[in-house]
Amino acid sequence: MLAEESIALIKEKAAKYPERKSAILPALTVAYRQVGHLNDELYSEISEIIRVPAVEIAEAATFYTMFPKHPVGKYLIQVCHNISCALLGADSLIGYLEEKLEIKKGETTSDNLFTLVTVECLGSCCTAPMMQINQDYYENLTRERVDEILEELRTRA
Amino acid sequence: MAEAVTKKAPSNKATVTLTIDGRSVTVDKGTTVLEAARSLGIHVPTFCWHPKLKSVGSCRMCYVEIEKMPKLQVSCATEAMDGMVVATDSDLVKQGRRAVIEFILMNHPLDCPTCDQGGECQLQDLTFAHAIDDSRFAFQKERFVEDGSVSTFDDVQIGPEIMLNRNRCIQCYKCVRANKEAFGEFDLGAFERGNITEINAAPGRQVDNPFSGNLAEICPVGALTGMDWRYKIRVWLTKTVSSICPFTASGVNTLMYMDETKNRIYRTTSRRNDEIDDGWLSNVSRYAYQVVHADDRLLTPFIRRDGKQVEATWDEALDLIAKRLSDIQDQKGCVCIGGLVSPRLDNATLYGFNKLMRHVIGTNNVDYRTEYRMLPQTPEDHYQAACSQPIRISDVDDSDVIVVFGSDMLKEHPNLYLRIRKAFNFGAARIFILNPYSTKASDVAELEMVYHAGMDEVALGAVCLTAVEKGIVSSDETDRLREAIAFDSASAAALACGLEPDHLELMARAMAEARKVTFLAGEIISRSREREPIAAAICNLNRLFSINTKGQFGILPGHSNSRGAHHLGLAPDPPASIKAKLRSLWGQYPDTETNTTDSMMVQMRKEEIDGLIIMGANPVMLYPDRAFARESLEKLDFLVVSDLFETETTELADVVLPLSSWAEYTGDYVNLEGRVQTASKAIHPIGDSRPGYAIVEAIADRLENTLYTAEDYRRDEIDTMLEVDTACPVPNLYVPSKGGQDEDDAEYPIALMIGDDPHHRGHYTEKSASLTSHVGEAYLELSPDLAAGHEIKEGDSVRIESPVGKVVLPARISEHIRNDIVFVPRNFPSAPVTSLLMRKRRIDRVRISKVVR
Amino acid sequence: MNVVLRAIGNVFWSMPKGLAVTFKHLFKKPVTLDYPHQKKPMSPRYRGLHYLERYDDGSERCVCCGLCAAACPADCIYMEPEENEKGERRARIYEINMLRCIFCGYCEEACPEEAIFLGREYEFSDYDRDSFIYTKVQMLVTSPRKDNPFKWIIRKVRRVYGVPEPSL
Repeated sequence: MLAEESIALIKEKAAKYPERKSAILPALTVAYRQVGHLNDELYSEISEIIRVPAVEIAEAATFYTMFPKHPVGKYLIQVCHNISCALLGADSLIGYLEEKLEIKKGETTSDNLFTLVTVECLGSCCTAPMMQINQDYYENLTRERVDEILEELRTRA
Repeated sequence: MAEAVTKKAPSNKATVTLTIDGRSVTVDKGTTVLEAARSLGIHVPTFCWHPKLKSVGSCRMCYVEIEKMPKLQVSCATEAMDGMVVATDSDLVKQGRRAVIEFILMNHPLDCPTCDQGGECQLQDLTFAHAIDDSRFAFQKERFVEDGSVSTFDDVQIGPEIMLNRNRCIQCYKCVRANKEAFGEFDLGAFERGNITEINAAPGRQVDNPFSGNLAEICPVGALTGMDWRYKIRVWLTKTVSSICPFTASGVNTLMYMDETKNRIYRTTSRRNDEIDDGWLSNVSRYAYQVVHADDRLLTPFIRRDGKQVEATWDEALDLIAKRLSDIQDQKGCVCIGGLVSPRLDNATLYGFNKLMRHVIGTNNVDYRTEYRMLPQTPEDHYQAACSQPIRISDVDDSDVIVVFGSDMLKEHPNLYLRIRKAFNFGAARIFILNPYSTKASDVAELEMVYHAGMDEVALGAVCLTAVEKGIVSSDETDRLREAIAFDSASAAALACGLEPDHLELMARAMAEARKVTFLAGEIISRSREREPIAAAICNLNRLFSINTKGQFGILPGHSNSRGAHHLGLAPDPPASIKAKLRSLWGQYPDTETNTTDSMMVQMRKEEIDGLIIMGANPVMLYPDRAFARESLEKLDFLVVSDLFETETTELADVVLPLSSWAEYTGDYVNLEGRVQTASKAIHPIGDSRPGYAIVEAIADRLENTLYTAEDYRRDEIDTMLEVDTACPVPNLYVPSKGGQDEDDAEYPIALMIGDDPHHRGHYTEKSASLTSHVGEAYLELSPDLAAGHEIKEGDSVRIESPVGKVVLPARISEHIRNDIVFVPRNFPSAPVTSLLMRKRRIDRVRISKVVR
Repeated sequence: MNVVLRAIGNVFWSMPKGLAVTFKHLFKKPVTLDYPHQKKPMSPRYRGLHYLERYDDGSERCVCCGLCAAACPADCIYMEPEENEKGERRARIYEINMLRCIFCGYCEEACPEEAIFLGREYEFSDYDRDSFIYTKVQMLVTSPRKDNPFKWIIRKVRRVYGVPEPSL
């Protein structure tokens, strides 16, 4: 699955580290950037390139919720559900998003536009509840604000 | 938990003194508080700590209160410091531990009634100990229900013998750590994080490594349980009996769980002995108990009548044996009777067998090495010297340099293999492997050198010559060494055996500079026809690098009681000290011709040996020339075979005697260090079988010559024999080490290596259902290139042909093997691989072809 | 003198008094039963012959955990577990030797699955000892019993201690 330039990039990054294991996360990032998600096949490919057992790569990859493990829609909606956000209504926000997008947590809309997941704290507690869509933070969310954001993304897509 | 750390002897390391619960203790610097407490006999509860693994402090159960530290500390990850004042039982500590248990129970299902760990669960015990009957976590517990669950209990089978229940896991990571740190296997991992952390098999793999049984044993809860113990019996209904493994030469200590009323063994766990096994069991040791309860055990004696073996009573069988043996003795003389015995039997059996053959019958036709090519008739002084060197398993731990020569450690000595891994992971050992094919230990090796098959002594010679030529060691007998090695220069020798001169230099330098060297040679050497020159080469190497003065070296025996057999004089021509002792014990010692297994077979073909007694051995299956062994035994007038099962050898027998297994009587075994260990009787003999010593004594009785006048004489005589010093001196000169080579045969280009599968050992283990669930049939291991050359894919049937036979086996492609070698396990009677071998060859060569349907 | 008079009085007064009781009972309902034609209903907490309960969906409650056998002071329970077709733990063999049993009821107290109960059945005499070894089939009820007195006692205890109801 990995393209030639990704393999070359992983090798280049791996060369920087004295411990082979240290190259796991940079390699996973390269693979994620190219493919859009991670899976078992990629773990074994990376394992062959950086010569670390595949299971250790899988362990690292599954530890980080930032790497999706299944194909995701164009917009990956990551809603924080940790303490600050939860106190300010993250659960109802997730319920609202599920209702609005007509999907369950962890699913992708049929038009392949949105994927909804919940994540651990994203470090923006002072602006809770918040979510991250792809690389951008959306903060101080209300139902109206969510409507606006989704509408904007739909039109942008 | 019975894992008390033994108080370490004061060493020259720096020490610290601390106070634990008001008692003062002095320990080595670097010791953890937990270990210091345990050395005082103070029990600190733990889940994730394991004495043979690195601490991670993930369970937080070992909280202690240390003065001047504001919070509770995890004792397993806190280094003991001078002047520390530790409390392990204060109210604060109890409160902390209570909270930890409550936290662990947050997601732990209370399904103890259906959990196999119930009764031996550490979480159960500690929950009771901390009197926790309530939880503040009132919400729904996290439950793993995914595809792959085979039951409503969410059990998932992740390996042939491992059942996983992720709900019960408390994330101590002991299994994953043991798998990686101790066994070097990567088929189990911890995935995801937080609440949904799960232990599972690696993507697309099964947990089927040769040490996988340990994972179920060290799991403190019921997350990983063994399939062989699944829903069989509750642990409190069983009794434990201490035993040892009869399949490994190191004699790992085991504990058998048995039920008296049913006369049945239910499982085996380890009985940690830091000197031998560190508490790890290979699957062979763990599941070998199933051999005892195999369905097809021989239950009664059989006698051949009119060409067919029919059931008989012991009296009939013994009378017949006595009559026929005395007939042969009277008509042709006692030299026409021989005896072969398995080195897996206990001391009493082996000694009794020796006394029966030598004292009662009066013949020197006795041998216990029925699996080796016994061709050379010359005395094997150097081989005996290398075999009888003192070896200590625990000395591997702190060796600087470990050299493994001609041994597939994982397959032959699984616990030494783990020691070597430990020395690499926990010590600073540099490991060098010299083998005709690549082995599993290569990932910890600094250098793995694969030489051409059959070039064993040349490879060692090349190391010696390199050391001399590069001036790594100084020797004033260089010429003599060159003469002994029969090569002029290191480069010529390196070229002949196919090794890189740089590698040789690196290894020679490491060995010369090391403070403590362990040099281990194994079965590939012992099985070779040229083991005497190879042993001479080992002695030369030892002399050049003075290994025995700064470490240990030796050829490891192959079986659980090989060393005992040697001590008790079962060799055809035992060392003089043993002969003298036997003569003094018996009043006489036969002076007839001595015959090895091979020369006995030659005599059988000439009808010079007419009667043979075989105990526990299976020469037809395991002698490296099946047709030869079979034809020889067929020529016999009278063959007595005593075995656990019907084997290829018992088929030819006139009298078959059912033998009891090691679990059915108390017996002593001498492990590869020379340590005498006892396997206690766990169950009563199955069927009408009898222990080996009882059989030989009964035969002797019928021959009107009682072996011992009183019961305790047997023990006294054996103890006397074991006290005899049998160590042969290492030659103090460079000795010639040129071995013979076979003629090349272009028709058969590939060298065939025969050995044990990692999940099997010898010829009984295929009766164990758990072991056959890992590997159940023979296979041909070959390199990807060789396979591609013959258009063979994984699993294809491959015909293997040698000049004397052919066998068809499924292919298994392995990255580890060279292109000019194939490997076949010898453990499966369904695949008679020894029929490919020729006893006069040094290396058996074969050709392979794909079977086209 | 008084003593003599009291004795005479006793004879003439006590006898009819005693007989009055006798005659009174002639017209009362008898306390004895015409066993075996008539049977007395047992107390709800009587400990008689054991039975094994089922779940409402008909599956067996007993998982063969061995706690009843461990609790049994008379050592009269024998069991061997197995895996059923759903991969659940079930009893392959579950036997109680009723001759050994002392009907103490510890087994039903020990049972974590509410599977074994002591019923009100007490007529199980027989002619040979073998037939007193009751097997699982003999003890297993065909459908969950509605009149199980212990169920509500257990439930009540559970409520007091705040233990949630076991779900299926």
